[in-house]
Amino acid sequence: MRNGYKDRVDSKQSTVDGQRAKRPYIGPPIMPAMGSPESFESFRLSFSYGSRSDLNFKFFKSISDKDAARFLQDLLHLLGDAYDTGDVLPLIDAAYAAQVAGYAPSATAPPAKFVYEDGPFTPVTAPIAEATLGMFTTSGHFLEGDDPEPFGEPALTQSEAEARVGEFLSSPPTLSEIPSDTPTDRLRVRHAGYDIRSAIADPNVTFPIDRLREFEADGRIGELAPILFSFPGATAHGHLRKELPGWIERIKDQGIDVMLLVPV
Amino acid sequence: MCHVSVGHVARAVEEAGIPTVTIMTRAFAHRATEMMIPRSLVVKHPMGHSMGAALDAERQSEVLAAALDVLDSATANGTIVEFGPAFRPGH
Repeated sequence: MRNGYKDRVDSKQSTVDGQRAKRPYIGPPIMPAMGSPESFESFRLSFSYGSRSDLNFKFFKSISDKDAARFLQDLLHLLGDAYDTGDVLPLIDAAYAAQVAGYAPSATAPPAKFVYEDGPFTPVTAPIAEATLGMFTTSGHFLEGDDPEPFGEPALTQSEAEARVGEFLSSPPTLSEIPSDTPTDRLRVRHAGYDIRSAIADPNVTFPIDRLREFEADGRIGELAPILFSFPGATAHGHLRKELPGWIERIKDQGIDVMLLVPV
Repeated sequence: MCHVSVGHVARAVEEAGIPTVTIMTRAFAHRATEMMIPRSLVVKHPMGHSMGAALDAERQSEVLAAALDVLDSATANGTIVEFGPAFRPGH
C-alpha cells in the first residue's frame, strides 16, 4: 500500500506540477541559506511560506523557538527508536500533537474575528437513508478541464499557489462544481493552505466522493446530489461572505435535504 | 482559515433551511464553538487528512458514517461529537 501511495503521487504530480513529476516534495524550491549564519528563528519561520515552505509544519510560525527546538529533538529521538521498532506511529503522534498545540488559541494569538453566541439550526426531519445529500468542501478540488484559474492564470501550479497565498487571502473565491458521477481520476486539486500530496494520491481524504457513492449504492443515504462543490478555503472572509448568497442559490438548486461540509 | 470559511458556509446553508454536518480537524475544532457551527464531528487527524489517510477507504467510511450519525441524532445547535479512534497511517 505504501508503494501504491508513492506511485499515485508521482504519477499524478505531473498533471498538477509538471516540473516536479518525480519528486514527492511539491512546495517552493528550497534555497540554501546565504551569507551570515542563519538564526534558529529564521529557520523556524522559513517553514511558513518561506524558503523551506512546508504546509504540514507552517505552524512553526506560531510556536516559540524553544518549543520548535524541543519538538525537533523529540522527533529525532523517536526516529532513533523507530530504527529498531519499525513503528513510525510515535513520530506521527508527536507531529500531530505539535500541530494541535501550534494552532490552539493562546493569549498571544490574535483574538478570533468571527465569534457567535447563537446561529441558525435546521432540524433533520427525514431519515438520512432517504435524504438527498449534498457536499461542500474547502479542499480546492476541481474537474479536469474546468480549472477555476485563480488570478486569471490558466494553469497555476501548486508551488505557484503557495507562493501567492497572500493573493488568495485577499481575492474573491471561485466555487467549483463537480458532477457527482465524475470519475475520481478526473479530479484535480490545488490549495495554498495545506499539503495536497495526500489528496493527489486519493481525493477522498478531503473530498470523499467515492465513499459517498458507496453509501448511496448501499442505501445508507437516499441519493447523492447531482453537483458537489469545492473551493480552496484559504480565502478572504469579507469576499467569501459577499459570494455566499449566490453560492447558496446554487446549492439550493441541487434540491438537497442535508449537506456534508468538509473544511481542510 | 478553511474552518472559518466553512463556519460561514454552515451558517448560511442552515439559514437556507438545509441541515448540515461539518467534519472538523482537531487542530481547528475550536472554530466550531466560536462560530456556533450547528453540528460537528471532530476527527483526531492531521491537517489535510479530514477523512483519514490516503487509500484507507475503511477509515474514510467510518468517518462518513459517524458524521451522518451526528446529522441524524443532534437535537441542539452547536453539537460537537468526537470521533473516537486516533489517526492511523496508510497501510
